Amino acid sequence: MAALATARAERLLVTVGNPNVGKTTLINAVSGSRFEVGNWPGTTVDRLSAHCKLSGRSVEIVDLPGSYSLAATTPEEKIARDELLALKPDLVVDVVDAGNLERNLYLTLELAEMGLPVVVALNLVDEARAKGLTIDADLLARELGLAVVPLVASRGEGIGELCEQALRDNPAACPLVAYQPCIEAAVEELGALLEGAPERRWLALAALSGETVRLPLPVAERSESLRQKLEAEGVDPFLEIAGQRYRTAHELSQRVLDRQQAPPQLTEKIDRWLLHPWLGLPLFLAGMLLVFRFTFLFSDPWIEFVGAVQGVLAGWVAGSALPPVVQSFLADGLIGGVGTVMAFAPVLFFLYLAMSFAESSGFLSRAAFIADRVMHWAGLPGRGFIPLMLGFGCNVPAIYATRTMEDFNDRLRVALAIPFTACSARLAVFVLFAAVFFPAQATAVVFGLYLLGLAAGLTTAAILGKLAPTGHSSGAMELPAYRLPTLGLTLRQAWMRTFAFIKGAGGSITITVLVIWLLLNVGGGKPENSLYAQLSQLLVPVFTPLGVTDWRLVGALIPGFIAKEVVIGTLGVSYLGSEPVAALGLMDGLQQLGQSFLTACWAFLNAIPAMFGLPQLAPPAPEAPDGLAGALGTSIAPAGAMAYLVFLLLYTPCVATVVAIRQEFGRRWASFSVFYQLLVAYVLGLLAYLVWPS
Amino acid sequence: MTTVCHLEPDQNAQISRLGGPPGLMRRLVALGLRPGAAIRLVRRAPLGGAFQIALGDSFIALRAQEAGQIHLELS
Repeated sequence: MAALATARAERLLVTVGNPNVGKTTLINAVSGSRFEVGNWPGTTVDRLSAHCKLSGRSVEIVDLPGSYSLAATTPEEKIARDELLALKPDLVVDVVDAGNLERNLYLTLELAEMGLPVVVALNLVDEARAKGLTIDADLLARELGLAVVPLVASRGEGIGELCEQALRDNPAACPLVAYQPCIEAAVEELGALLEGAPERRWLALAALSGETVRLPLPVAERSESLRQKLEAEGVDPFLEIAGQRYRTAHELSQRVLDRQQAPPQLTEKIDRWLLHPWLGLPLFLAGMLLVFRFTFLFSDPWIEFVGAVQGVLAGWVAGSALPPVVQSFLADGLIGGVGTVMAFAPVLFFLYLAMSFAESSGFLSRAAFIADRVMHWAGLPGRGFIPLMLGFGCNVPAIYATRTMEDFNDRLRVALAIPFTACSARLAVFVLFAAVFFPAQATAVVFGLYLLGLAAGLTTAAILGKLAPTGHSSGAMELPAYRLPTLGLTLRQAWMRTFAFIKGAGGSITITVLVIWLLLNVGGGKPENSLYAQLSQLLVPVFTPLGVTDWRLVGALIPGFIAKEVVIGTLGVSYLGSEPVAALGLMDGLQQLGQSFLTACWAFLNAIPAMFGLPQLAPPAPEAPDGLAGALGTSIAPAGAMAYLVFLLLYTPCVATVVAIRQEFGRRWASFSVFYQLLVAYVLGLLAYLVWPS
Repeated sequence: MTTVCHLEPDQNAQISRLGGPPGLMRRLVALGLRPGAAIRLVRRAPLGGAFQIALGDSFIALRAQEAGQIHLELS
């Protein structure tokens, strides 16, 4: 991003095109992978740009979000339209799917009406050929009056010629669509009022179509009255204009296309299985499981490694000559805080990999198509199903995964539902408590808690949907052709997004860990005297109606805000006292680091066969200190334990999740999530205590 | 007059009219579903609910309530 601010390139190029036409691959090929991923200002829509040198001239390429038209029917299309008008690029590279020429030309015709210099990058000609389609590119160029470059961007074919075209001074495109006389008359009248604006024809047409475009007030008023006049004459300007563009696109494509009979395409063959009436659902579930297992099996060794690094650093600190308070600050506060952030990086990286593969390969759209029915009753689109399921692994990447949804309201509702789903960190606590208090029904209790979390989340989404109905949460979407994404591109994008999380969220998370360290250590001496203990004692009356009366149980919920599994460690310390960290010498520490790195690599390799093995159904053994189970059993009754578990399942999301919500939806919604979940947790916890047979 | 909801798999039809709120109509037209376009129902989603239709060289998924707004003439 810094490069954007410092150096203004000699030439500004923008790429536009329908979704899934390989724009990103094209930029990657032109710039040689030197692109940056960020967000469009004020949105969470990805902004991809690249700086590169073409024949010695510095060029900036900005990728506009995928758009079917410039009518701004989605947030992405609105950005694309506004940026086209605002950026005044030296050249627009219109990326066209050769296998779907007619619909893609619709956008080309609109661009020509904007009066911008346009070159057509006719991509995916290999796929078109397989479909039996041959396009006469020279004829298309003559018909459009624009340069047309046939390409296979994924293999670099045609990129050289495109780069040459990119440096030429192309004249502005000329409009190609002739509308019926009553529309042309209205366009001419409005165009005269907009004298001087090169995009006046497009603006006039957009205003007549009833789109929201920025116009001087007199022009807007005039266009509105012209629109009403046309409607009174029985002409729907929107349908008439769109219809005429489609007719022109159709005639154009008929002239330049040669269509041969071709065998059924791979996409149709795969769909026949994946969307099969009976096999579709099991295959979909298996696919979900695969994404889930991929993310967590591959990230787990690296999370362990982060833990090992933390351990070694803490050991070195313990071996130093620093005073105990400073040692504790460094080991538990600082190293603990940074470690908490770093432990999320592997999960995010592998999840981003899985998601961007699923999205650019075409699988994600099919999953949404199938899940649509399930999500429908909560008033959510099918795409919301995937983030919600990922929440069972870890809430943080699940929040970021809502980005694959189009509508802001839908995204927000799914994001507010996600923290209710029981992530794997909470599982550890459930397993421990279930083993102590409900040994006979442990599995049922854990499973019941999972269902309760999911139900609370979906109900939240449904209620919010009723309170603030979305204009329309459209389920209409393209099911794109299956395609193998470029590995390098996918890896680079996943890494950049993970880095963005560390940069954006790392500070807040570390500070929270430090504040909680302060709570635990101010007041000094024994744990009972600390500020933490005093605060916990104060909170006990609040939790007494839930049957939780031990300050140590109440208190453990506070550090649980860092990460839910910290609850177990805190309980261990407050019931049994802390174990001193063994001091480590420099060489011993280094040896341990090397050892854990090798272990991580080995576990990582083992994850490949494990992915396709049978899922492990038994929950992992709880990593609790010895003796904690016994101590817990005497401090609370089963009904209270149940209430405690329900509260723990539903109460405020962990700090990383809250930060993720803040990054994506703003401070207000992050605070809402915290307070709303506290309320729900308390009410349902109370209910559980009252209902549970004691 | 019928809608996409009433099509059988592999049945062809031509769009005669679009109903529903303006936002939906604009979205459908942007995807290429405009009056006069020829479509074919490919299949319903495995759990029911959604429809997959073929339009020109692309496939489009629609929810039942959206499919019900696309009025057709059978061909």
